[in-house]
Amino acid sequence: MSVIEVENITKTFTSDKTKILVLDNVSFSVGKDELLCLVGPSGCGKSTLLRMMAGLEKSDSGRILFNGEPITKPSPKIAMVFQLFGLLPWKTAMENVEVPLEVLGVVKDKRAHVAQEYLQMVGLEGFEKTYPHDLSGGMKQRVGIARALALKPDVLLMDEPFSSLDELTAKTLRELVLNIWRNPTLPTNTFIMVSHNVEEAVFMADRVIIMSPRPGKVIGEVKVDVPRPRSKFLRDQEYFKYVDEVVSLLEKGKAITRDTSPLSLTAERVQHMKTTK
Amino acid sequence: MNKNANKTIIDSLGQTGRRAIFLNGEYVAHTTVFEVSWLRCLRRFLISFVLGLVALSLMTWLIVTFVSAPDIKNLPLYTFATISRILITLAISVVWGVSFGILAATNRAASLVLTPFIDLLQSIPILGYFPMVIGFLFALGPLGIELSVIVLLFTSMAWAIFFGVLGAIRGIPTNIAESARSYGLTGWRYVRHVILPAITPAVISGANLAWCDGWFFMIAAEYIQYQGDVVSPPAGGLGYLLAKTAYELKDMNVALVLLIFITFIVVYFNTLTWHKLMERASTGTFKPVFRMDLSGVGKLGVARASNWLHFGRLHWPKSFSIGAQRLHKYSRIEKVIALVLVFATVIFVLSRVYGQLPTVAMISDGFRQPPASELVNLPWLILFTMGRLSIAYGISLIVAITMGVLAAEHKRFAAIFYPLYDIGQGVPILALFPVVWLGLSGLIGNPGIALELTCIIILILDMIWYMFLNVVSAVKNIPTEINEVGQMFGFKGVKRITHLVVPSILPAIVTGSILSWGTGWNTIIFAEYLPSTESGGAVSVPGIGSLLDKAGYEFGNTVVLIFMLGIIAVIVLSMEGLIWRRLLRRFEKYHVEV
Repeated sequence: MSVIEVENITKTFTSDKTKILVLDNVSFSVGKDELLCLVGPSGCGKSTLLRMMAGLEKSDSGRILFNGEPITKPSPKIAMVFQLFGLLPWKTAMENVEVPLEVLGVVKDKRAHVAQEYLQMVGLEGFEKTYPHDLSGGMKQRVGIARALALKPDVLLMDEPFSSLDELTAKTLRELVLNIWRNPTLPTNTFIMVSHNVEEAVFMADRVIIMSPRPGKVIGEVKVDVPRPRSKFLRDQEYFKYVDEVVSLLEKGKAITRDTSPLSLTAERVQHMKTTK
Repeated sequence: MNKNANKTIIDSLGQTGRRAIFLNGEYVAHTTVFEVSWLRCLRRFLISFVLGLVALSLMTWLIVTFVSAPDIKNLPLYTFATISRILITLAISVVWGVSFGILAATNRAASLVLTPFIDLLQSIPILGYFPMVIGFLFALGPLGIELSVIVLLFTSMAWAIFFGVLGAIRGIPTNIAESARSYGLTGWRYVRHVILPAITPAVISGANLAWCDGWFFMIAAEYIQYQGDVVSPPAGGLGYLLAKTAYELKDMNVALVLLIFITFIVVYFNTLTWHKLMERASTGTFKPVFRMDLSGVGKLGVARASNWLHFGRLHWPKSFSIGAQRLHKYSRIEKVIALVLVFATVIFVLSRVYGQLPTVAMISDGFRQPPASELVNLPWLILFTMGRLSIAYGISLIVAITMGVLAAEHKRFAAIFYPLYDIGQGVPILALFPVVWLGLSGLIGNPGIALELTCIIILILDMIWYMFLNVVSAVKNIPTEINEVGQMFGFKGVKRITHLVVPSILPAIVTGSILSWGTGWNTIIFAEYLPSTESGGAVSVPGIGSLLDKAGYEFGNTVVLIFMLGIIAVIVLSMEGLIWRRLLRRFEKYHVEV
């Protein structure tokens, strides 16, 4: 059964009176216990799509269902990990994890206990009272992950969670996320991740959905059918076969859109123009 | 996993020092921490505060005992009156600025109405519409005088806080706003957990600015010429005392003593309280605070003394720049709403002053009353005033850039210029005015020429510090990479200045210029016209400011006053639109993302 269903999503951004189509009739579904990766070049609207699943952004048409109910606003059942961490700089690691629990009305003792537990799980014991400013990038993202998991959500959304980290740190954190995903004692088992790193997507995902450059469309999906843990699999011929398959689909998508829209305005740039205006 | 492996190790320097961070037993990072315990901080603050009070009372006692001048016996009362007036207004302004700033930043409808209107209000020099405020409130008697002083101080304080708050909220990074929303922080919770901490530095530096501005306007507010009479608030005040000493008694020595006394209050409590607060508040924000420390430099007496007094440490959150906030682009609807509001205000004021709704006959009558006859010379008056402002601006631009670049690059110059800045920006310029005028008119004899010179000197002293601060902070914030590129390609000396330093500080020069001109307009309105109780009448130099003052204070001609205000607003707004906004848009691209 599917937990999340994306149905015919279309989205345009307006910038300086020109309308730019970022998502064009996108549909797919995500099953329970699945780890899904959305892959595409920058500007294909994959982050926008993820924000719609989080209830942060609205679509022009189409809808996204969570357990059969349309998503209209952020809910604690769907938590998100941000590319630039999104930690409050004036709160300690512990307080950052505690704030969403406070919103849910968890009493003080209980939420301190829960926050402690999750910080420990992501390997941050001893840093409870440290401010984000004094944490390295990898440690900040650990806090971000702990904050999301502490809500015990059904779905975890991750927006390029490792792309602002160095490769060694990213590798460690990928393992951490996979361990959490496989841990049967945790209620969160459906992960959706946005990435532009093909190797990362193939290494982590059950299924990779490939999107075309703007306007974003689903141009194919690759089911990565390899047993876990996959650390050894990294050197296999099979791994490169999957990577090649995803890359060739991406190339195909690039060829299609080059014919239809030569303008190279990416969605990030549009977003940037929107925020700086 | 070894559970005890995660440690932070603070090295032997103690509370402040380098700190190593270990993760899973491996070294991961090294950070510098500034951790001074609250208690120690508080104790040091209290000691300095009490010492300041002791010094203040000692000075008061010395002045009262050894200086002989009428009214000087009331110095303790006047000091108390002025300080409490400023503090009360400060409290009101902070409450107003924060609540309206949050309202305008979070509510679209409120923003549509409030922001452009307040922006328009702040582009009109406060001293320009002060005569009208007095006209309203003097009807209430002594209480009305006190009220009008507070209203003037409020208008000088509140805008900076409002725009600071607005800018800080608009500057909250998207990732933080989004993560807060996705974790359910909405409504009041968003205000408490995100907005309030995010605006704290802006509020503190805005309040600091307001505190200085309060002292700046104090002398104009406490010594008011109204229909040929000089009026002071019933509780008196330091500004009143100084103006009276200089204008009526013409006692240079006493005026100088009073000026030093006022400067001491402003500078001492400024460095003691605000700088500390800013240091505290800035630790939790996303943008680095611009901070300069003099410790360890110089055998120079001035550097040492200033270190001892905690001078020479400037704190300026980069996020807080009213200058750039002022160049916000407004939509057509916002402009229309602002114009309608201004029009309504003008009609309201006129109908209150004349007791009836304004008619065409009434307005044309206003243009026949004195000093309307001088309106023929309006182009010349504009030219004179703009000339004074431009000369002062040009001189302060050159001097400030030279000083700023030198101070930012050489510790030796920093040791002289930073303390100079701390004192220079602490001196209430308008309070300096009567003293300089008294000195110059004694030297020159001709009051007209003396006033002309005083005007320009005061304008320079007023404009220079905004430029200096902006230049220093910009030079300090040139990214290391850019400097390294310069070294790689062998840029040295003049070439380095022209190719690297000047282009990277251009945006800061524009924002500094906007602030300089803003304060310059206020000063010139005050400085072109000297109130006097003598039969000879007031001394003035021809200009827009003096004509406005004549219309407001001497003849009570509201129609001409509003007309002059309109002229000033048009000049200020067209300079923003034609010069500053274009320059800033162009130079913005020079900004290097770090």
